[in-house]
Amino acid sequence: MPEHDLWLTAIFNHFIPGIALWIQNMVGIKVEDPAHPWANWAVMELLVFAFMLVLFPILRARLSVENPGVFQQTFEVFHQFLYSQTEEAGIHHPSPYIPFFGTLFIFVLFAGLLGLIPTFEAPTMRPMVPCGCAIATFLFYNLAGVREHGLGKYLLHFAGPMPWLAPLMIPIEFISHLARPLSLTIRLFANMYAGEQVTMAFLGLTYFILPAVFMGLHVFVVFLQAYIFALLAMIYVGGAVAHPD
Amino acid sequence: MKLKLFLLLAAILLLASPIWAADAANNPAPTNWKPVGAAIGMAIASGLCGLGQGRAVAGATEAMARNPGALNGIRGALILGLVLIESLALYTLVIIYTI
Repeated sequence: MPEHDLWLTAIFNHFIPGIALWIQNMVGIKVEDPAHPWANWAVMELLVFAFMLVLFPILRARLSVENPGVFQQTFEVFHQFLYSQTEEAGIHHPSPYIPFFGTLFIFVLFAGLLGLIPTFEAPTMRPMVPCGCAIATFLFYNLAGVREHGLGKYLLHFAGPMPWLAPLMIPIEFISHLARPLSLTIRLFANMYAGEQVTMAFLGLTYFILPAVFMGLHVFVVFLQAYIFALLAMIYVGGAVAHPD
Repeated sequence: MKLKLFLLLAAILLLASPIWAADAANNPAPTNWKPVGAAIGMAIASGLCGLGQGRAVAGATEAMARNPGALNGIRGALILGLVLIESLALYTLVIIYTI
């Protein structure tokens, strides 16, 4: 059953279907419904991306040393929070990695909050979007480990603390490292999806205004899930760049 | 004495087994076990998750009471632990929606 288009998706499908068709044809994805090539989640994800693309240059333009405004001070608090969390997660020089964690946090946060606005949908509600974030995190922490240790030494860390433990440790480490993006994906996707399903279930059960209580709880869940995604990314990077000492 | 009473009761209840014959004649379709399995699985997952999170919160609050200086560190560990336990119950929910 084809999904109902949100109003923004309908605008995209009406005016610029060609871009989505071209991308899907180029990559090799079969388009199920050529009249609606833009999926809801793709349009919502682009909306969050566009919002961030507008937000950060505005922030940059308003930075000032003598006279910081509310915007700058909010993001200074946010940066300080990220810095302290990254240090707590075990990374001794957090500065190269903070941009990634900050972007991840802001993206997951705004994506979740978008779902609370009535005619929009959270892009993280579909498994594809959290999967993208999780794969990006996976690549990032492995590349951070390779850059810190060198490729050979980083792969040697999978063998465990002692050489004779290697035949046992390598499969365990391999599977646990593959399970990390899987658990990141499912955690974020299931939380966002469950939030929507709870709202839908209570909408069918009782008065129209009652689901607002659950949406209030969902705001807290969105903040928590964004924080946990970023924190787990920090822990994984910390584990990858850790020097045994 | 109680065992004899129990066996007597079980025999009387099993005497009513022809009731299933009447049902099979009108309703030959096999019972759909998927919702039953989904409900039981989700109930077990949520219950055990509740127990686990209760233990996590109990340990965390006791540690905070014993060492108020480590409040921030314990709170961070508590939040992380709660979310990881929660995600285990959510894996069951995802399976329910995909099967």
